[in-house]
Amino acid sequence: MNLINSHQQDDLTVISFNINNLDAGNADAFRKQVRPVLEESKKVAIDMSALQFVDSSGLGALLSCLRFCNENGGSLVLFGLQRTVTALFELMRMHRVFNLFTSIDEIVGALS
Amino acid sequence: MKALILAAGKGTRLMPLSRDCPKPMLPILDKPVLECLIEHLASQGVTQIVINTSYLAPEIENYFASGRRWGVELAFSYEGFEEDGVLHEEPLGSAGTIRRIQQHSGFFDDTFIVMCGDALLDLDLRALVAAHHQTGALATLALTRVSEDKVSQYGVAVLDDLGRIMSFQEKPKPHEALSNLVNTGVYVFEPEIIKYIPEHTPYDLGSEVFPALARDGRAIYGVEMNFNWIDIGRVADYYSVQMQAIAGELPNIPRLGKEILPNVFVGANTRFDPRRCHIEGPIVIADSVTIEDGATLIGPLFIGRGSVIERGAHLERSLVFEYTRVGAQATLSHVLASGRWCAQPDGLTIDPQKTGIAWILADSRTPRKWLNQQEQLFLEQIDDFPPVCELIENMRREPAFSRPW
Repeated sequence: MNLINSHQQDDLTVISFNINNLDAGNADAFRKQVRPVLEESKKVAIDMSALQFVDSSGLGALLSCLRFCNENGGSLVLFGLQRTVTALFELMRMHRVFNLFTSIDEIVGALS
Repeated sequence: MKALILAAGKGTRLMPLSRDCPKPMLPILDKPVLECLIEHLASQGVTQIVINTSYLAPEIENYFASGRRWGVELAFSYEGFEEDGVLHEEPLGSAGTIRRIQQHSGFFDDTFIVMCGDALLDLDLRALVAAHHQTGALATLALTRVSEDKVSQYGVAVLDDLGRIMSFQEKPKPHEALSNLVNTGVYVFEPEIIKYIPEHTPYDLGSEVFPALARDGRAIYGVEMNFNWIDIGRVADYYSVQMQAIAGELPNIPRLGKEILPNVFVGANTRFDPRRCHIEGPIVIADSVTIEDGATLIGPLFIGRGSVIERGAHLERSLVFEYTRVGAQATLSHVLASGRWCAQPDGLTIDPQKTGIAWILADSRTPRKWLNQQEQLFLEQIDDFPPVCELIENMRREPAFSRPW
């Protein structure tokens, strides 16, 4: 099953989810599916708006994406987080690890 | 004088706080709301009190027992049944409970007071009862005036010139409200009111008894009383009341413990070296708390008894319930947290067990376990981000990754 889609917007690669939960059940599959996209792209934005629930495995998968991008000289940002996911990020202090945006327009605005 | 306190409700709007604790037992600092009410009734000369219970009844009944400690005679009226060792709740509603108590013992033999168990108040009950007797009414409601933007949270009463209630509006929109006098859930009744309540059936005062009185041509009076009335119906209300209590703004709720620094109160048997933490009051720390060096505590903040705050944890404008372990990687900002949940004032809740982050938030009485492989992997990944480690070590507050594109 394809957990993600990706498309190009300006010089950004935008990854979106086809799933509602990112958890222990699919975090590894997500990691494997997203890796080729990160290898191809230097500037990646992940659209989190479809995710209603993320657990520590999901956070771990997102962290490994960020680490991969940083090690390869690229950048990764997240946008469109739902409130429960934002609350989890704040509790875990992850909001200080990731660059978080509300929308793709905000990212494009920051880029320009 | 006799009184009934209504304490059987489930407190649905206070979830997740009321999941393990009945609404009347929610503490303001360390004192349950219901205890504040009993103390107030005792101070007003009310000596015999019945409390109706149903949801999590043992929590209430075991705490208050005979009531002797508060100088009152206390009895409970449980609404439900036991089957195979399990209590099943069957609440009878605000009016049904009056009927049940009366059938059981004839307890209500004179003018009596009924109040909800989920609000803090300092109402002059003697003055209310005197006003009730003056009109010769069967029922008198204590009303208070709220600002117009708040009427939508309450039941509104419209009075005529003699103080008789002409109509009620339940939670009207501000522009539709005919008055800003609201029902505080404090009533004075004559025993005769009981004939308007059917036997053995759930029945409500507001929606069933009062309309029946009106249909029968019996006047219900409302008395506008000037008193402090703090309703804790919603999580946001409870959070707000607690913030006031921590700041010392509630005169009847003294801050517990000893003031070790200006606006920093600490209970007994607490391990805490304020020189080794970043602290900004007002802060109230209950008994038997452990706060490890290097924690950041920014008020208003309350830490409940038996809690453990690990080195590097960042707590700000929050309520930490009793026996909560807050892990080193946690940031609690503007939340209510226990070992089983972390809620924002609007009720948005995270379950640490379900989310697999029990090393960040857990019950402090649960022995610390070795992290499982998944948790270990996650922490290793976090360790790979030097800025996060730096954050944990130095409690820096600026974004770790502010690098532009």
